Amino acid sequence: MSSVQVRYIVNDVDAAIAFYTEHLAFHEDMHPAPTFAMLSRGDLRLVLSAPGGPNSGGGSTLADGRTPEPGGWNRFAVQVEDLDDVASQLRRAGVWFRSEVIEGVGGRQAIIEDPSGNPIELFQPIRPEARLSEP
Amino acid sequence: MAEPLDALRLPVVPVEPRQSFAAELLRRIQRAGPDARDSATVRYFTHDLDRAEAFYRRLGFEVELRSSPGFAMMYRGDLRLLLSTPASHALVDGTLPEPGGWNRISLRVDDFDEVVERLREDGVGFRSDPSAGVGVRLAVIEDPAGNPVELFEPQAGYHERTGGATS
Repeated sequence: MSSVQVRYIVNDVDAAIAFYTEHLAFHEDMHPAPTFAMLSRGDLRLVLSAPGGPNSGGGSTLADGRTPEPGGWNRFAVQVEDLDDVASQLRRAGVWFRSEVIEGVGGRQAIIEDPSGNPIELFQPIRPEARLSEP
Repeated sequence: MAEPLDALRLPVVPVEPRQSFAAELLRRIQRAGPDARDSATVRYFTHDLDRAEAFYRRLGFEVELRSSPGFAMMYRGDLRLLLSTPASHALVDGTLPEPGGWNRISLRVDDFDEVVERLREDGVGFRSDPSAGVGVRLAVIEDPAGNPVELFEPQAGYHERTGGATS
């Protein structure tokens, strides 16, 4: 059961489903409408909403007229055991990298983008306390 | 000659109870349980870690680490929230990350109206007022840096994947 939920705004829900299932091993839980899908990966549930759809819930245009859009810098992280290996696989598959590998305090990371330009952090822990209990 | 039972004959020395130690131990044991392998990580950017920490504490997060001036790690259930300052994550070309955007964590609350009312009383900014989504009621609030946080409460028709493999 997924107990952590993250919502990403995507322009093309079908393209996003393909990206997350093919490259990052997400499972498609449901896709009940063209503007919405629910995916999961371990304990992370990722809900995808297209902006501005009618009655689209999380992607709805606000009362003041602002419409949600993809992008930004906030992101979820996917833990990997060998960042270099994963990164080269994704590059070969044509995935866009927003950043090169960044050496951080608790780990190394690289940021990729989904087809709508949303960031995903690939994270390889190098200190035990930064590690999730299991990948 | 020492025998195992000798230990029972040693004088009993009173030990000061250390509640913080016990609490920490309990937390570690619980976190190392079957659910621990499933925790998920999200990173948010913020300019002021102290204000962010106070805000997320209000939503039920606990501080796990403040290991540098530019970083905090907080937990709420299985969600690990990393708070970073932009300067600590500059890209090679100098681009700095910034708070904001629309992608967000979505926190389930089972007393939605009460939580919304309390947050309003506390002066928390609402990006979107409570509304009905598909199978949920939801609202989007903003942390002090302007990052969105979605609060939702399941309604009729709410779906959640149950059991089975989670790969």
